[in-house]
Amino acid sequence: MFRTLVTTTSVAGICIGLFGCKQEPLTATPLKDFEAPFVFGHFQVPADNALTVERVALGRLLFYDPILSKNNQVSCASCHQQARAFADGKHTSVGVSGKPLAFNSMSLVNLLWGPQHFFWDGRAKSLEAQALVPIQHPDEMGQDLDILVKELSTHAEYPSLFAAAYGDISPQHIAAALASFQRTLISANSRYDQYLRGEITLTDQEELGRKLFMAHPDAKASQRGGNCIDCHSQFVTAGFSTRLDGFSNNGLDVEADLKPGLAAVTGKPEHRGLFKVPSLRNIAVTAPYMHDGRFATLAQVLAHYNSGIEPSTTLSPLIVEANNQVSDTAGAISLNLSESEQQAIIAFLHTLTDTDFLTNPAFSDPFNRAQDATAQVSKDAR
Amino acid sequence: MKNITVIGIWVLGLSVMLSTGCSNDKKTEVQKTAEKQTAEPASRNQEESQGIVLLRGLPTLGTQHSIAIVELDPESQKFGDILHEFVYEDFEHPLHHLYYSPNGRLYATGLDPACSLAEIGLHRDASGSPAIKGMQCLDTQGQQVGEDIMWHTVNGKQYMFVTFMGGTGVSQADGGSIGVFEPQTNAVVKVIEARRSEIPEGAPYIMYPHGISAYGDRMVVSSTIHPDLATGVGNALTIIDLNNFTPIQNITIEDAKPVGFPSSPVEVLFVRPEISKLAKPSVLVNTMFGFETWQVPYNEADKSFGNPVKVYDGVSSGTGVPLEFYGTETELFISHALPGVVKRYKLDSLPELVSSGPDIQAEAGAHHMIFYPTQSGRKVIAVQNNLLNLGNAADGDPTDVDFIAKVNDHSITVSDLMTGERLAAVNFKQRYKKGVENVEALFGSGFVHHH
Ligand code: HEC
Ligand code: HEC
Repeated sequence: MFRTLVTTTSVAGICIGLFGCKQEPLTATPLKDFEAPFVFGHFQVPADNALTVERVALGRLLFYDPILSKNNQVSCASCHQQARAFADGKHTSVGVSGKPLAFNSMSLVNLLWGPQHFFWDGRAKSLEAQALVPIQHPDEMGQDLDILVKELSTHAEYPSLFAAAYGDISPQHIAAALASFQRTLISANSRYDQYLRGEITLTDQEELGRKLFMAHPDAKASQRGGNCIDCHSQFVTAGFSTRLDGFSNNGLDVEADLKPGLAAVTGKPEHRGLFKVPSLRNIAVTAPYMHDGRFATLAQVLAHYNSGIEPSTTLSPLIVEANNQVSDTAGAISLNLSESEQQAIIAFLHTLTDTDFLTNPAFSDPFNRAQDATAQVSKDAR
Repeated sequence: MKNITVIGIWVLGLSVMLSTGCSNDKKTEVQKTAEKQTAEPASRNQEESQGIVLLRGLPTLGTQHSIAIVELDPESQKFGDILHEFVYEDFEHPLHHLYYSPNGRLYATGLDPACSLAEIGLHRDASGSPAIKGMQCLDTQGQQVGEDIMWHTVNGKQYMFVTFMGGTGVSQADGGSIGVFEPQTNAVVKVIEARRSEIPEGAPYIMYPHGISAYGDRMVVSSTIHPDLATGVGNALTIIDLNNFTPIQNITIEDAKPVGFPSSPVEVLFVRPEISKLAKPSVLVNTMFGFETWQVPYNEADKSFGNPVKVYDGVSSGTGVPLEFYGTETELFISHALPGVVKRYKLDSLPELVSSGPDIQAEAGAHHMIFYPTQSGRKVIAVQNNLLNLGNAADGDPTDVDFIAKVNDHSITVSDLMTGERLAAVNFKQRYKKGVENVEALFGSGFVHHH
């Protein structure tokens, strides 16, 4: 069944390449052995960008190829490194201009599930739409799309790879290929995944952390909780699939310092300071944290939730309500978890690290390998 | 109702099971995911209206047992279509009831002695569609005829409890056991058994357990009927102390015998704060052959159970063979196989049964149910109508039993939850030549309280 070649005539389309387009047939090899956990939920791939071995292989090359940037020095992988779950370890990322960006890089994982809104403020509506943003952004890759298409069209290998995957080279097909590769970045073998499958048992501390992570505190009923699940319910995938669900203000800044956040997209004042609730998968390797990378460690993140919440008009009511103590000093918003409870939540967050994902050869830099990248990807595609 | 006799049923042998099943009462990982994904109707998760059903191959129709994913949205073009099917050939008798664990693992109890409990592997293919990739029969240490599963935490430790109506061997006339499993590894932690023939006269016994429910360190199981439906019928509950997994009391639940048999308590529900903060703690019991619903008051302070009180009388209400309890956030639903109806009550008024709306008219055999919204956001209930999946004399089926055939519509009927109006039905026997053993919502069970 695999190696079934679905041959489609490539419809002429618009050929942007300087040297015109060869009308080569598409080669659509279905991903073989593709498997994703049931509990992650349903996902949909855009009808015009079905996952194929050719598209994923092409996308992987593009993702790691600095040819995408103006100075041919910055690739997507410069700011999205596999060993860091595709984040970059910097407070805020730096690209071609050398000028720090406004935002902390985001981990790229399980993007098949969830967001219809990408970026911290949700301004991109699909992975395809997202991909063209960093390429053209003057501080990220600073590349002109027409020039990029030209460069790729004269390249020794890309024309035939594009022909097989999409028919021709165009900005849309560059974006589509990048999206295809990123959709295969599936992480499903952390200790927590193994726990869900019944393969392992969590330690007592991890288990306490899991319970606290999942529970909304109710001091009157002596139910202790960290309240995390109230916002991070999609923590094993990449967020929420419904409209603007999954954007919230988790109390990082006081009113006067609130950044536009989601309001930059919706224009609504009540969306000021709301940012995307990110995946927490591999969170132990994606420091620093938050949209501006303000916290260096998970301990700082927990300290923030426990007693560092800044009040503002758009602060999530879920945070205001949550308290493990029946009463607090007037006005204070505090979770009141003990030190060991915070440690337990951190221990639980560490169970979300998936070393298979961080070292999966199918996601790695194809240019570091001697063998043909395409063959490698199709071999590893899953 | 006089023609309801169990005579002849024993020809069926051990395969014949009374099917009533359940799931845990906590929301599973799967449900949580579904809920979050369906917060807004515009981007409704289309899998919410899909059911996972256990289908029984019917011997005279040449079909095989299978697990199938079926579209149950009456507004969908695909209503009643099997979207995915996993056929298993190795067993003579089919799987019986499906349950999601709190961590979203799928289990089924089974009727075949070789597979009394199984874990089912679900995954997704490259199109995102759910698919069943296999099933693994679990070691039950000889326990047979799995019925209900309940996950319950006692003294800080979670266990998977399974009732085995055949106990450690269906050849035993007074058998029955509760299997206590480690929920991560599926390993048997303990087999709770107390056969009358092996304990002192008058000591608390466990016999043919089927229904199961628990609150804190007290568990209740029912004593229903020997799996061969002939050797014996029960009429009591057994209370188990979960601190040491020992039976401590039997409570007889019996009054009139409308069909001349012991009452056969089937499903039980421990009404507890988790189900409703307002309801008084007590145990509700449906008696399959008594046609009644009973409540047993529970005194939390001294952990004592009071005298059983009949709260519903089927004979005077024109219903028979009450089976399942299913609860939503606000209502409790009870299915009655005859004439095929689901009645509903206010959750907060429990243990009194105070009606909360119109009956759901189902078909003969009304049994398991799921709740979900349609594409347009209409709230619906799907009822699986089959007491036992046996054949029909008209088909020359050797497994035919008159009584059973009358309570087997082989269908799933879908009704509007608010009005009770019937919206659609799919008859599995007509359409797929199979019986329908059980239904569970594929993605988000749609009910919150079941045990
Ligand atoms: C200079 C560093 C840099 C480069 C180069 C870069 N990114 Fe990013 N990426 C970021 C930052 C920073 C964010 C968050 C930005 C924001 O929210 O505005 C981000 C966000 C994203 C997201 C959104 C993830 C989510 O969950 O919402 C995706 C997808 C992504 N990048 C893919 C790419 C691709 C594909 C490329 C190459 C074409 C690329 N990035 C190049 C830094 C970079
Ligand atoms: C009110 C909703 C809300 C609650 C409750 C909440 N979070 Fe968050 N969390 C967010 C949002 C929104 C962000 C991103 C905020 C930003 O960067 O502006 C975030 C970010 C994070 C990050 C950083 C992620 C990254 O990639 O930088 C971690 C870690 C985290 N949360 C852990 C937790 C834990 C642990 C808890 C429970 C103790 C918790 N959160 C409770 C909404 C919430």
